[in-house]
Amino acid sequence: MTEPAAAPSGPGSTGAPPEGRRNPLAAHPITSLLIGLLLLASIFFALYVPLYGRLTPKVGDWPFFYFYLLAFMPVMALVLWVVTLLQRRLGTQAGGPR
Amino acid sequence: MSHVNSTVFTIVVAVFILVTGIGFAASRWRRAQDMMHLNEWGLAGRGFGTFITWFLLGGDLYTAYTFIAVPALVYASGSIGFYAVAYTIVAYPIAFIFLPRLWSVSHVHNYVTPADFIRGRYGSRGLALSAAVTGILATMPYIALQLVGIQAVLTVMGVGADTTNTYLQDVPLFIAFVVLAIYTYLSGLRAPAAIAFVKDTIIYVFVIVAVFYIPAKIGGWGHIFGAAQTHFTSTNPATGKPFGTFLPTTKKVGSTQLDFVTLALGSALALFMYPHVITGTLAARRRGVIKRNMSLLPAYSVVLALIALFGYMAVADPATVASVKKTGNAQLSVPYLFQNHFPSWFTGVAFSGIIIGALVPAAIMSIGAANLFTRNIFKEFFKPDATPHLETRVSQWASLVVKLGALYFAVELPKTFSINLQLLGGVWILQTFPMLVGGLYTRWFHRFALIPGWLAGMAYGTLAAYNTSSPTSSHWASSSDIVFGFTLYIGISAFILNLAISVVLTLVLRAFKVPEGPDETLPRHFTAEATDAPAKERAPVPAGEARPAPGG
Repeated sequence: MTEPAAAPSGPGSTGAPPEGRRNPLAAHPITSLLIGLLLLASIFFALYVPLYGRLTPKVGDWPFFYFYLLAFMPVMALVLWVVTLLQRRLGTQAGGPR
Repeated sequence: MSHVNSTVFTIVVAVFILVTGIGFAASRWRRAQDMMHLNEWGLAGRGFGTFITWFLLGGDLYTAYTFIAVPALVYASGSIGFYAVAYTIVAYPIAFIFLPRLWSVSHVHNYVTPADFIRGRYGSRGLALSAAVTGILATMPYIALQLVGIQAVLTVMGVGADTTNTYLQDVPLFIAFVVLAIYTYLSGLRAPAAIAFVKDTIIYVFVIVAVFYIPAKIGGWGHIFGAAQTHFTSTNPATGKPFGTFLPTTKKVGSTQLDFVTLALGSALALFMYPHVITGTLAARRRGVIKRNMSLLPAYSVVLALIALFGYMAVADPATVASVKKTGNAQLSVPYLFQNHFPSWFTGVAFSGIIIGALVPAAIMSIGAANLFTRNIFKEFFKPDATPHLETRVSQWASLVVKLGALYFAVELPKTFSINLQLLGGVWILQTFPMLVGGLYTRWFHRFALIPGWLAGMAYGTLAAYNTSSPTSSHWASSSDIVFGFTLYIGISAFILNLAISVVLTLVLRAFKVPEGPDETLPRHFTAEATDAPAKERAPVPAGEARPAPGG
């Protein structure tokens, strides 16, 4: 339940934190890029219907379209969990890749 | 009261009484020193952890829309209804990007509503008013959808007087709604949060049972998909066109692919801007709670996908098709499917799940809309010196008025495709996207550009939705229209118009150096943690203090 203690400002501190905390993008360009790519890719692959809007290959009795949509859910949960972990490594609680 | 199955009826009434008890008792849950404060009544003390937030947001997201509206669309039109599945997939990464920022800035400045944030960010009461009005307006058809869902279950149960008078017919619905209104008034957000536990337990149980039980009974998944494919590709003698689509079609045969994508994307962008979802978000204790929930909430999406498939099960089941045909209402397909195949006691459990599944979000929605009215209309324009006590009292009453407004929507708009109620709400709420989500990242947009953009989007979206017609209703028949030969969701076309106007006018206003107004937020506020500034503290610029409008 605890966030990483990387934030330099102590509990209860309302003052401005040191500059270093604020620019995670510059400090970790590769991790930040990875987070952005993961989020964008998961949105793209869920929305780009021409990719999966077809009957075959069937999975069991399930046409591909329906199987793909259902199978995407656990994948999305996993991706977002990985993204949360990656963001912790940034040593900040920045809201997103931007 | 003809053909009422007494077992079903008894169970539904028993669960309803249980839930009502919880609703009233909830006012004592996590008891605060002073309940008459919006942070308490409207946000339940802003102290919910991951677990409760998961149930609360789940209660927000999975509603009569999920149980009645989506399967009805699947039953009637086939694959296009599965846009809802794609929508609940992409909603989470989208929310993951901006929702934690909204939580942080609201925490630092003690914002209760999205319009509070817009006011502080742009220093514009007018802009905040437009967001508040949109939020209240967009919530009403969404609550109305919950009513329609309850109605569908009651109809199949056979409850309701044998009369053609709409109001007499709906007496049980009104009773349920009045009881809901009373405990929402008393317990605030605590009531739906507590009831959400019961609701989701019932729903998970009945959906998982149904997904294994019904296919086994009606011939397996192969038969279900086969029957659906045969049905939706065959020609409807009445229209000379296929009944629907089994897969989203490409351009050659009248594209539904773009419609599918824009419906999914538009709904996903809209979802986390609804006041009730933001209410659920701001009630969280920590920023991390929101993020963790984004990877936990897809569990609900799995359920939604399975429920959408109930639409196909209904198509594949001749008994259900016959029952639905008799009433001519596709929304009854899932209740009939359950009634035809489950033993009465389990039908009772499933029906009570659907009814509570509609009551919980209706409560949260009315609270979200009520907070908007209190903070951004009443306090802002009528009584700037309102005490927290008065604010809460006004919110309590406003939550009742919002429910009445929803009743009006439920009676007035065509009920055959209640999904349009939700999509209409989406058309409106999407028009606040540039100011809200744009504002979370940049102050580039000019406040005086956002207002005309919003206005144009609202006007175009409303007119376009009004002008859609179908063989059965002359207006409000659909949520997609054709723009330059492409069929797409009206919410998206209106949003593009809105964004274009906002961008162009911002460029013009910036060129003329029109004053931008004060901004009370700082970059670090958008990444603030719970420890950075307790929400109980006064915000740097006291909320409600009338601020001078430079340049005005």
